[in-house]
Amino acid sequence: MAMQPRIITRGSVLHRVGQLVLFGAFALFFVRAGLEGDRTGLGLLTDAIILATAVTGLNLITGYTGQISIGHSAFFGIGAYTTAILVDRGWAHGWTFPIAAIVAFVIGCIVGLPALRLKGVYLALVTLGLAVAFPAILNYEKLADLTGGPLGIKNLTYLPPDWTPFDGRADLHLWLFWLSLGIFLLVSLIASNLLRSRVGRAMIAIRDNETAAAVMGVDRAAVKTVVFGLSAAMAGVAGSLFAIKLTLVEPAIAFFTIIGAITILVAMVVGGSASTWGPLVGALFYTYVNDWARTQGEERSIDGLAGVIFGVILILLARFAPFGVVGLLRKFRARFVRVVPKPPVALAGDLPSASAPAEANPSHASTT
Amino acid sequence: MMLAFDSSLFIQRMVDGLGEGSIYAMLALSIVVVFRATGQLNFAQGEIGLFGAFIVSTLTLSDVPIALAILIAMVVGAVLAATIERVVIRPIEHRNPGAVVVASIGLFLGINQLHSMIWGPNARSLPSVFPNDADDFFRLFGAPVRWERFGIFLVLLVLLALLWVLFNKTKIGLAMRAVANNQESAGLAGIRVGGILMIGWGLAAAISVLAASLLAPQGGLSASLMFGPFLIASAAATLGGLDSPIGAVVGGLALGLIKAIIIGYVGFLGGDMVFTVSLMIILVVLLWRPGGLFGTVTVERV
Amino acid sequence: MSTEALLTATGLTAGYGQVQVLQNIDFHVGRGEIVVILGANGAGKTTTMRALSGMIGRRGSVMFDGTEMVNAKPDAILRAGISQVPQGRGTFTDLSVEDNLMTGAYSRKGDVSEDLERWFDAFPRLRERRTQRAGGLSGGEQQMLAIARAMMSRPTLLLCDEPSLGLAPLITQELFRILAQASRDTGMSLLIVEQNANLALALADRAYVLETGTIVAQGTGAELLADDTIKRAYLGVG
Repeated sequence: MAMQPRIITRGSVLHRVGQLVLFGAFALFFVRAGLEGDRTGLGLLTDAIILATAVTGLNLITGYTGQISIGHSAFFGIGAYTTAILVDRGWAHGWTFPIAAIVAFVIGCIVGLPALRLKGVYLALVTLGLAVAFPAILNYEKLADLTGGPLGIKNLTYLPPDWTPFDGRADLHLWLFWLSLGIFLLVSLIASNLLRSRVGRAMIAIRDNETAAAVMGVDRAAVKTVVFGLSAAMAGVAGSLFAIKLTLVEPAIAFFTIIGAITILVAMVVGGSASTWGPLVGALFYTYVNDWARTQGEERSIDGLAGVIFGVILILLARFAPFGVVGLLRKFRARFVRVVPKPPVALAGDLPSASAPAEANPSHASTT
Repeated sequence: MMLAFDSSLFIQRMVDGLGEGSIYAMLALSIVVVFRATGQLNFAQGEIGLFGAFIVSTLTLSDVPIALAILIAMVVGAVLAATIERVVIRPIEHRNPGAVVVASIGLFLGINQLHSMIWGPNARSLPSVFPNDADDFFRLFGAPVRWERFGIFLVLLVLLALLWVLFNKTKIGLAMRAVANNQESAGLAGIRVGGILMIGWGLAAAISVLAASLLAPQGGLSASLMFGPFLIASAAATLGGLDSPIGAVVGGLALGLIKAIIIGYVGFLGGDMVFTVSLMIILVVLLWRPGGLFGTVTVERV
Repeated sequence: MSTEALLTATGLTAGYGQVQVLQNIDFHVGRGEIVVILGANGAGKTTTMRALSGMIGRRGSVMFDGTEMVNAKPDAILRAGISQVPQGRGTFTDLSVEDNLMTGAYSRKGDVSEDLERWFDAFPRLRERRTQRAGGLSGGEQQMLAIARAMMSRPTLLLCDEPSLGLAPLITQELFRILAQASRDTGMSLLIVEQNANLALALADRAYVLETGTIVAQGTGAELLADDTIKRAYLGVG
């Protein structure tokens, strides 16, 4: 009958090699794309990376900590507007990124406060309120001096700085691609280190059994608030990238509305929530499939076809890949290879293995 | 400086708020019916209603009387939703809840865009069920009240009476309450749980179709008609308590009245902020009562 | 052995997904007979009950009243005459006491008020609380409600999943007395799974002992009561 899957111990040489090959394949894909430099194609890939950055943030609070947010479009927008407002006032583009992260972090912590009392759908509704309120606040005339009101803020082009190998306006798309990729990697690194820390275990404990987590002595209030803040900060930085790539911000941009929040959420689930590769895979899948559906609609010039196709794809995905694309790939992999945890070993001299932060770690998943 | 309080205008505004609130109440009811049975928010609830309203529009264009057209569309909507439950939702239900959310967002997007595909991108007009000429009003304490608005509230009352009879006086209603409360025991009592879930989805859809068909004459029938009302209705359902039909009605009416008051008397906030303010009010209520006004607070599920 | 079997399970295998809990078990219940299945936590008692009610996937053969029921759906099994009092009582907590009972009669057609009165007579405390939310009843009252609810379908075989769980011995005794009475009055058979065996064995015509999904012993109630190993394992004596 079926071939017996080969058993590989987590952390063994073979497992490491497998991870390196996977990581290398991704790296090769991105480097090739970044060197070839086809303007349209690279623009779409940059969009996907920016989305993946925001999804990485949402994955922390929703995927790992179990607190549903339908409000990440607001944090995304807050980041975008922070960058836009500062650039408009003469700041250097690069310096606006950390400020955007800090602003989003603080607001994220505040929004996280109701999460201490509300759960599930009720918390989702509060974050949804944020998503709906955000564009209304941008349009609010009394804030127009700051936000530019319905007209928004324009001329945010971030030309490659002199120290980069890129040549001004001609290489703008390359510069934005590498910048986005760099920030995405940084954000992913922060996320994966967080998950491997005490806080990471506390997050998962809260998601899986909040009562038990409290009994175990997890400070739920602190963990939820800080993770909400971090998650918002990541979405905020993604928003900054979005603003400078688009070179403008305005309230009418769909990504600042609830549509954006839903996009981030769908990309997360479609990739596979609470998985390391999920955000990137989900964002790539979302961006490219959406683009493909749009092309189908345009080619046949049928109104609404694109949306219908994409809707059907989402429904099929929910049916056949309930744990996302990563979950599906894992299931497929399980037919050939089974990764098992390292058997407990004696404590002696095994410490250096704890310091391998650069290694992508596809564990932590509750999915199988 | 004190402005004279215009009581006639106040009554008019309250009736307007009640009319609009009735639509939220109906949508909120349909959200609650599905939530009680499955524990899920159906993001496509408003779109299913809108689909029915488009059918109403097609029927009235072929000279079917509007009231009959709405009834037919309610039946069509119910069958559609029951099929969706069976074909799309049930196969994934006991798996990842995230997947159910994605499926219902997929349904939302698919049905929403299907409207454009079938009926084109331009907004249509839909006749009102109620007399809506310039002189179709009656006076309440001297204030002119338009039948067009007050009628919607009456429809809500009739709907509530019918639902009360369904839930409390019929065997199917008993089965629906039993399934909502305890699926395992309902199955042991010989209730076909799957069939009841389909009926629940169908009932919710019929109510949504009614709400959309009553809203369309004022809002204009277009693919974006139900998006805002759905958000407000889900907020209303949350305010009332997601497992409480009474809560849905109270929440819906309350949000309609709050909106009328804000637009009428707190004008400096501007129309865009109405929903935001409503949500802040809801947030305060939820922080005080995490299960909504009428909902049961679930003890930590472990 | 009883002369005529009402229920005969042969090679019954059942479980959840990949996990097989019951392995190939055989047992039978005669007409009007009271049969007890003893077993510790995790032995497969509840799985047996759920398999008989059609709530989980199962293989093998379940002959009931001359009909093969192994592939039947829960509602068909109920209509054929098998009703279950689930473990943990399965109360519809948001429904009134009366509506709980009416739900039990869901599978029947026509007027059921006579049965309603019959069970209100058997459990007067339920009559007092007729219109109250069932979730507010005490554990003992909820167990009464669960039994009455299951009886509303007029079963020929009643399955009871650990009726004594969480109840004071006196209440358990009273419940068993009423069950035995109902069995005598109507000729109904009883299949009770229990962990706490003292009372159950006293009531039983016959009993089986279930361990990790297989039947390891069987006999009359008296025989098993006398068996030392059984005593040690299930009666907390010896």
